[in-house]
Amino acid sequence: MELFLERLISGLTNGSIYALLALALVVVFRGTGTLNFAQGELALFTTFVAWWLTTQSLPIWFAIAAALGVGFLMGALIERLLIRPVAKRNDMAVLIVALGLFTGLNSLAGLLWGSETKIMPSPFPNGESDFISVGGARLYGDALGVWGALIVLMGLMTLLFRFTKVGLHMRAVADNATSATLAGVRTSRILAIGWGLSGAIGALAGVLVTPLAPQQLSLTTMFSIFIAASAAALFGGLDSLVGAVVGGLVIGVLEAMLTGYVSVIGGSLQQTSALLIIVVILFVKPTGLFGTTKLVRV
Amino acid sequence: MSLLSLTDVTAGYGPSEVLHGITLDVDPGEVVVMLGANGAGKTTTMQAIAGLLTWRGSIELDGRPLPQRPEQVVRSGVSLVPQGRGTLGALTVLENLRVGAAVRTDTGGIGDDIDRWCEVFPVLGRRSRQLAGTLSGGEQQMLAVARALMSRPRLLLCDEPSLGLAPIVVQELFATLAHINETDGTAMLIVEQNAELAMDLASTVYLLDVGTIAASGTPADFRADDAVRTAYLGY
Repeated sequence: MELFLERLISGLTNGSIYALLALALVVVFRGTGTLNFAQGELALFTTFVAWWLTTQSLPIWFAIAAALGVGFLMGALIERLLIRPVAKRNDMAVLIVALGLFTGLNSLAGLLWGSETKIMPSPFPNGESDFISVGGARLYGDALGVWGALIVLMGLMTLLFRFTKVGLHMRAVADNATSATLAGVRTSRILAIGWGLSGAIGALAGVLVTPLAPQQLSLTTMFSIFIAASAAALFGGLDSLVGAVVGGLVIGVLEAMLTGYVSVIGGSLQQTSALLIIVVILFVKPTGLFGTTKLVRV
Repeated sequence: MSLLSLTDVTAGYGPSEVLHGITLDVDPGEVVVMLGANGAGKTTTMQAIAGLLTWRGSIELDGRPLPQRPEQVVRSGVSLVPQGRGTLGALTVLENLRVGAAVRTDTGGIGDDIDRWCEVFPVLGRRSRQLAGTLSGGEQQMLAVARALMSRPRLLLCDEPSLGLAPIVVQELFATLAHINETDGTAMLIVEQNAELAMDLASTVYLLDVGTIAASGTPADFRADDAVRTAYLGY
């Protein structure tokens, strides 16, 4: 029972991170209609920024806030300078640019900060004794912190999309960009804000996951997380925020259970389980569990 | 002076030119109807004015050049109800109307206008919290008109508002358009296949043919012209 609970806790924690990164993917997908392959590496780059700031003996919370700001700026700039010029051609061009960014950002991080592994401090209490006991299982402070971050972010995003003009305009552009433009919405600004927002959310995922990740902060930290987050976004149907969160948690827990209980999978086939989930979803329900099939009334 | 004035406007899609020099005027508070066969360039003209297509020539609003970007066109007081209605289906009726007020900042006024259009179009009031994608075609057309009016335009462009609607709904819609034109003095440029109905509303009619203005005049002129009548009005 304790083992099960511990696996559940670890699954939910990883799942929260997947959910965060999946949310970032969904925000971009709704606006631009493409999967941003560079999302994980953008998160990695901003996490390096946060780590570097902590090495300049700045407080961790300041470093995280700065990373979110840098993530927002980079996301918005990428949209304006790289994505928008090629988006007019076709979706494939955007995909290729995102792939280029994927390697570019990774190399840039390596160039600036070197390829050796860094230790990223956690913003939450994560000492050996910072846990509470739940049914015999240990629930550590940093796990609780990650859950809390996801819940707070969900709340903020709900407020943004339900009650603010920017949020309303983001949903309008996602629904029908031409109609939104004709109604006077500044579509280009809204798209840049969307990319910026997803850059900031990705940065949050990055700074929260690296203290927990087995690889800590290295150039490969985000690869497996990005794959799981893509699976989570796909699980939810790519355009659903709730779906991304549910997908992230489900994949996190499934992964923890599969690697824990199915000895063949173990640690080495962990990413394969995410891949397996992607294939099964595409096979059974191509629009994802929460995705919308576009209905057109004529 | 004209409210909207097109002079020798050419436009098209990529290398293919569809409009070969359109000259057209809409006076303040006037209803103008554009007739023409499929492919004559009616929708292209509307899209050019709305800033969805780049154009050459001159388009002026109140004697000042009209900007070429859609959101700036709306800001200047010209609003397009696109063909096919452009419903924001995943948003509620109320949210659709709020998006229509994107260029405005007067929160109180926006609320008043929402109330007003929900009264003018009672079905929108009844279904205000419903997703717009679940409305019928006629209801979506009402919503599209109301959304365009939320920006308080001086000129409303309507591209084939009757498309795909039942005759009774079309009559109701045109009656409402006539009412709005009367009470608010909103000028309208309407593209319509249902020529007779549209001409009842209009004071000026333009006839487009292969990207040029083939004829223009009052509805009475058009009804009296046998050649035009048989070719375009079908009786």
